Amino acid sequence: MATTEEVKKRKRLSPALRRLLILKLWLVERFRLRERQATLIWATFIGFCGAMLSEGFRKVSELLHYLGTGSDAGLIEAFRQLPPWQRLAVPTIGSLLAGLTLWIGSRLIASVRQKSTTDYMEAIVVGNGLISIRASLVKIISALFSISSGASIGSEGPLVQLSSLFASLVGRFRNLPVPQRRHLVACGAAAGIASAYNAPIAGAFFVAEIVLGTVVVESLGPLILASVIATFTTRAMHGEGALYRSPDLDLHTRWELIPMLFLGPVLGFLAPVYMRLLRSVELLFTKLTIPVPFKLGIGGAVVGTIAIFYPEVCGNGKGLLVSLFHQNWFSDEILLLLVVKLIATSVTFGSGAVGGVFTPTLFTGAALGTLYGQAVLYFAPGLQPDPVIYGLVGMGSFLAATTGAPLMAILMVFELTLSYSIVPLLMVACVLGYYGNSIFEKRFLYGESLERKGAAFFNQQLAEISILDLIKRDPLTLPKNATFAEIAQTFVQHQFQHVYIVDKDKRLLGAVSLHDVKSFLDRPELQTVVIAADIMNENFPRVSPLQGMGEALRTFSAVQAERLPVVDNLSSQRLIGSISKTDLIIHLAGDQGALKTALSGAS
Amino acid sequence: MTDLKAVDYLRKAEFIKNLEAVSDIQAIDTMLSALSHKPEVADAAELRRAVFERQKMDPPLLAGGTAIPHARTDSVRSVVTAIATSRFPIMFGETPVRLMFLIGVPNAAVGEYLQITSFLARNLRGGHLLDRLMNAENIQQFVAAFAEG
Repeated sequence: MATTEEVKKRKRLSPALRRLLILKLWLVERFRLRERQATLIWATFIGFCGAMLSEGFRKVSELLHYLGTGSDAGLIEAFRQLPPWQRLAVPTIGSLLAGLTLWIGSRLIASVRQKSTTDYMEAIVVGNGLISIRASLVKIISALFSISSGASIGSEGPLVQLSSLFASLVGRFRNLPVPQRRHLVACGAAAGIASAYNAPIAGAFFVAEIVLGTVVVESLGPLILASVIATFTTRAMHGEGALYRSPDLDLHTRWELIPMLFLGPVLGFLAPVYMRLLRSVELLFTKLTIPVPFKLGIGGAVVGTIAIFYPEVCGNGKGLLVSLFHQNWFSDEILLLLVVKLIATSVTFGSGAVGGVFTPTLFTGAALGTLYGQAVLYFAPGLQPDPVIYGLVGMGSFLAATTGAPLMAILMVFELTLSYSIVPLLMVACVLGYYGNSIFEKRFLYGESLERKGAAFFNQQLAEISILDLIKRDPLTLPKNATFAEIAQTFVQHQFQHVYIVDKDKRLLGAVSLHDVKSFLDRPELQTVVIAADIMNENFPRVSPLQGMGEALRTFSAVQAERLPVVDNLSSQRLIGSISKTDLIIHLAGDQGALKTALSGAS
Repeated sequence: MTDLKAVDYLRKAEFIKNLEAVSDIQAIDTMLSALSHKPEVADAAELRRAVFERQKMDPPLLAGGTAIPHARTDSVRSVVTAIATSRFPIMFGETPVRLMFLIGVPNAAVGEYLQITSFLARNLRGGHLLDRLMNAENIQQFVAAFAEG
């Protein structure tokens, strides 16, 4: 039998084993996978998968484009080869199919109560990081029909939607908390932008600046990782290269800086006109009381009609952009194409086609900038300006003005041109363009949509809950003849700001506020002289379950109180409970778990 | 608000020396009549109703024979006070009273109400001040008696 000393010896660790254990503890402590590191790993995965999905979308789109036009050339080139009737028919039929997809999709999905959104911005900013799979697929299929048939709309929208949806699924599958889910969806969006434009920095900053509204490292790190991985993946399949490798900026004279400096404000002033055009046409379509497929069909028919004469209007404008920078266009040609492209884009966008206006916006800015450059060349030939440089700087400036994201615009144009020499002028033009637009417009392209969706989401959240869902029963009450001593004791024992005063039938008579009495709680002389009826506020706001939560929120905003008394109805005034501002905020934040804990904790 | 503010309200009070009444209701009515002409009183009838309603609930009385009939009501625009002394005790319920403070306070002035009530309750608690207050001939002497403690 082992002695006590032997047992102790056995229990004692050898020095080597002890050192190994210390090392293990040190390693675990230093390299334990925390939430931040886990997000980076997921961001990498999402970046890769986002790019692959974008590639899949492109391939399917190319296949549909081939089936529609019988050509595997680019959209503009394929349309040039088509006879006039087919130039009209392809976008019209494609748009009708896109509309039909949306119409059928909305019928199918309407029967299922949606707990998630279809919009990635909404999911990141105001939602719970969940994106509806069915609704997203409907939008993506619809976008495939529109884009492959030559609609004048950007493909970046569905690409971002697809990779954001994937990121949302990752968050859902891993059962991650809401903030992390939102962050992953943001990574998906960055990957989508990066793979669409071969622009990793701009992809990350697009989401950071426009969607998140912050460029702090904490949130930017995973975005950068996702967009860089997405770009590398896309480059592995398509090769590297800038959209337009700009010539080095060569100012023949420093006087050229003067017209260059005016370019930003000029385009900044024109940006509101562009945004109002898009809005007006959209409004016009909303007034049409016809089914969605016909609305999109009208959009497609308009594009098709224009394409009979100008096939260049087909597609998102990327081909046009490349052509603008590589060919020496005359100003009247640029102006004409700008006008028809604007009509085609506004009609496509306004009809409700799924897609983005990012690339069409780039083209509009580039065309306006080039026109400005040609005007400078005409009026001041001695400056020997290169209109292409003006086009590039104008593109960034217009993008900054319309999106309200100058940093992203600078980086986007830099990545599209890979020319460092234009960056200083580009920076000035982007900032001036942004401020120029801000004089007339307070809302930007993406902000406006987000604002609308945010308000709708907020109203929906409010509409989904009733006062009875948040009520805490049996609140603390006192009779109207309760002495000051009893009131003081109640405030000392419970951390409430108000004590409700009721009559024998539980009818709410008013509330005594801690704020009113706190300076007198230590006055023994008041203990029997003052009663609740002397100091209660008879007009203390109250709500009833018959009212909506929006009404409760308005009542909260009118009074400085954490809780509001709930009466059965406003005529009988019988007190049945109270609701708390914190519980309402928790509900609006979408944290149902915390809400349940808060409500059960009080009962 | 400090005690000085409470004293200020007392200084502006209507003072009735040797009020004669056979009941608490008559005494209060006499004091209300003295206040009814004051510009601070917007609705004398409503003030009367509010004071008597409060009396029905739990008449505020201090040991030593002091009554503080009062009401928080919007029938007064700002704090109004009437002070009355009586040579003979007037029965407020079962309590004989010789000194009365009638106070009307606007609904929003909870702080002022508590300050005045606290000031009176604190100073009249022991009853040592009562004789000097009863002997005051006018409001100046009455307030001076408070100041002397």
